[in-house]
Amino acid sequence: MIHIRRIALLLLCIAFGPIASAADLLPADSSIPQAIDHYVDAKLKSEGVQPADRADDATLIRRLTLDLAGRTPTATEARAYVASKEKDKYVKLVDRLMSSRSFVRHQVDVFDAMLMRTANGKPKSLAAYLEVAIAENRPWDKMFRELISADGASDQTKGAQEYLRSTVRDIDLMANKVSVDFFGINISCAKCHDHPLVLDWTQDHFYGMKSFFNRTFENGDFIGEEEYGYVSFQTVDGDKRAAKLMFLDGKPIDEPQIKEPDDKTKKELKKRRDEFRKKKQPLPPPSFSRRMQLIDAALSTGNDQFLARSIVNRVWHQLVGQGLVMPLDQMHSMNAPSHPELLEWLSRDLIANGYDLRRLMRGIVASKTYQRASRWNGSSEDRPTPKLFAVANVKPLTPRQYAIALRMAGQDPAAHRADTPEADFEKWVEGVEGGARGLAGKFEYPGQRFQVSVDEALMLSNDENLQRELMENALVRHLRKVEDDRELIESAVWSVLSRPTDDEERRAFAAYLAQRKDQRDAAVAQIVWAMMTSGEARFNH
Amino acid sequence: MSSAKRKTFCGSPEHTLSRRAFLGAAAGVAAAPIAADMTQLDVLQESALAGELKKRQKHCILLWLAGGASQLETWDPKPGVETGGPFDKIKTNVPGTHISELLPKMSRRMDKTCIIRSLNTRDGGHGGGAQLMMRGRKDEPNLVYPDLGAVLAKELGRADSKVPDYVEFYSQTEGRSSARLTPGFLGARYAPVKLYEQMSPPNMSLPKSVDADDHAARAHLRDFMSRRFAAGRKSSALESHADAYARITGLMSSRDLFDIEKESKQARLRYGPSQFGQQALMARRMVEAGVPFVRVSRAWWDSHGQNFETHLELVSELDHVMSTLLDDLDERGLLKHTLVITLGEFGRTPRINASLGRDHFATAWSCSLSGCGIVGGAVYGKTDAKGEKVVDGEIGAGELFATIYEALGIKHDKEYHVGSRPIPLVNPGIKPVRDVLT
Repeated sequence: MIHIRRIALLLLCIAFGPIASAADLLPADSSIPQAIDHYVDAKLKSEGVQPADRADDATLIRRLTLDLAGRTPTATEARAYVASKEKDKYVKLVDRLMSSRSFVRHQVDVFDAMLMRTANGKPKSLAAYLEVAIAENRPWDKMFRELISADGASDQTKGAQEYLRSTVRDIDLMANKVSVDFFGINISCAKCHDHPLVLDWTQDHFYGMKSFFNRTFENGDFIGEEEYGYVSFQTVDGDKRAAKLMFLDGKPIDEPQIKEPDDKTKKELKKRRDEFRKKKQPLPPPSFSRRMQLIDAALSTGNDQFLARSIVNRVWHQLVGQGLVMPLDQMHSMNAPSHPELLEWLSRDLIANGYDLRRLMRGIVASKTYQRASRWNGSSEDRPTPKLFAVANVKPLTPRQYAIALRMAGQDPAAHRADTPEADFEKWVEGVEGGARGLAGKFEYPGQRFQVSVDEALMLSNDENLQRELMENALVRHLRKVEDDRELIESAVWSVLSRPTDDEERRAFAAYLAQRKDQRDAAVAQIVWAMMTSGEARFNH
Repeated sequence: MSSAKRKTFCGSPEHTLSRRAFLGAAAGVAAAPIAADMTQLDVLQESALAGELKKRQKHCILLWLAGGASQLETWDPKPGVETGGPFDKIKTNVPGTHISELLPKMSRRMDKTCIIRSLNTRDGGHGGGAQLMMRGRKDEPNLVYPDLGAVLAKELGRADSKVPDYVEFYSQTEGRSSARLTPGFLGARYAPVKLYEQMSPPNMSLPKSVDADDHAARAHLRDFMSRRFAAGRKSSALESHADAYARITGLMSSRDLFDIEKESKQARLRYGPSQFGQQALMARRMVEAGVPFVRVSRAWWDSHGQNFETHLELVSELDHVMSTLLDDLDERGLLKHTLVITLGEFGRTPRINASLGRDHFATAWSCSLSGCGIVGGAVYGKTDAKGEKVVDGEIGAGELFATIYEALGIKHDKEYHVGSRPIPLVNPGIKPVRDVLT
């Protein structure tokens, strides 16, 4: 074992060298897109890889609208954006999308999935809390503090306790989930034995993390914390060991030693708990809260790297489709980031700027890296690894995005006109998004190894209600009135795929219509169906 | 440091092969400026070995006895002792082997069946027990293991199969949610086709609004669009999207597979009028058409009260259905390629409670394996006189799964990868029961 550890240690040093110190990084006053493109381009250069060109405008408005607002653009939006000659139209679009209500609704959905989806599914919702927090762009460290303290008493934090409630029946799971969600570290391997491949994580770490939560319990609708209680565990050699309260940095935290109270005191404590439960109020914190110790430890200078790096990696993954570290829950020394300095720089920047996630998102989408085309024009053997970010990734739409995209595509193109006031447009969009809720429930949420199921394909092909939704909608009704094939096809492609059409497509669709002269109405519906169920509509590219 | 103690696997030192492979990959990291791409080891990659196995297709039918059947009224009778209950044991066509008198038809077919009498699986809850006995191990907080059907769908199915590769019947509602199946980390491609209320999966027929020609034509148009989009783009999710649509026509054409009317009246009569019998016939029909795994669930064996009435009814039904199924498979030359399993989430207590029931019991119980790769007539393991504990050959869910995999020609220590992490089919250190394998 010792021998193996030495080899691993040696490898560690060769592989990663000393971690870049702050002095080696680009200056802090560089902009986020500058830093991103600096590090990504440097690596491309050293690999001798020529990245893909910038994506075209039509692709970019669809990509941005999906990534930031969770919806597809209307035909009117897409046409106007592509036609615009304004130099700063991209930045203006980012601003417009990020200040829309759709942005908040989409981010609520994304963070709800990130924080509430457990391995076994059964999603519960943190939406009530997230809606308030995300609308005001609450800093991530503050959200971390509120979710771990689980005090949902104020209007600002209403519903925050749902995060810990989702795992309160299994404290091992809670400890690991918090570690995965906030620090990008899966410590479950270290539960039964020291992690064999990762020197960083031992049983002491797992049970140290568990110790922050072992006094946590559910009291009615709220989360409470006991006054006493310790964790002990069995080592692989069979010895019993008392766990020390300890964060991932491995430094035990001093705490008052609290004896287990006598039965009389226990009864009084229980009585007090019951009173609060009956009053439907959160239990006041204990005289010494272990959970608050986690908040303090995780936000202390130096340790704050864990929180910052993990959220940077997650936001990057969400927008770019491939994390700087993959998988997202394996941020440890044996699994180096693709661009270590970039991750360092972005984390430092996030901390220095008050954990402002909108600033981070805005910075990422402003980079050249984000704006690259997803099509690789070279030979497939020469296709660079996704880790180089030389080509944009295609990302499966979330259930909500796909449902909204299908609903949006089915609207009458005249419903949104260039002169529709923004306030009216927002209201109309909210209606379209609301109408997509039922449909969203029929799709599967994409995880890191997502595959489209045959059930989905069968459903979109054969389910009667969905045939009506996809083939008898306002778009189809509009298109049936268009006599000119060329105009019809163009309009359909703008509505469903947010882009201009091309000759090959025009020919194929025109031939389809020509073959079905006597049943043109049906043929129009079939064309729309074919576009809506195509890979292009199913993915963000 | 004994690996048997460990509940989870993360690439431990004992598991030298994968460890070395990992260090090898790590060494590659050291040499090259770019870290080795962990996703290259992804679980979805087809191995050459798996392709080889698919050439001689094997199948598995699991008769799932939901709620927990009593070993004492089936495969491990103990007449005459206080825990034995009212039923006697009978001789079988395998000298020295006795089973419950409730299984007279099976007693004449024991040369095709092996009994395991020494399961100690430790989880006496319906939910935990069902998960354990369907996945062969407990999940981890962030990792859901695929169940038996998903693994066999992947190992024994064909990527381009025109039939589903994982089908489940579960008509009664009792225990259905606790015994819920999952492809786990293998993903939706290996999810079961669920036949619960209806006997044919949803969305297998043409929608009323589209005729067959238009259905095919618009699918063609869809493919044209998707292919153009996929050119120059690469993602396994995108490929799965194309695969899913490519399977539609085949699956829709397998609609007849789900139509029991297509079986002769004689065949239907033979399996008997019970729903369980008709579904077993459907399972045979599917296996014959190339479906690798079918689970036929029969609920509800949970006899906390009136254990003996319940078992008189359910074991008699099982006796008829199982013996018919074995005969039918044998006559069609399918039995040597098809493994038939009877299993539930646990057995039942030897102690008879005040309501003349038996309660949950995971400490010393039985299951049966017949057909493919199995030594017919074998009896493995032994319980004590009252059936309270295993005295010989104790095994858990892991060993049973290792045995099932080996019987079907799949190496029990074969590894999948989730990211960089090697995950063997059963936890490391677990061995199959070689005594019952041909």
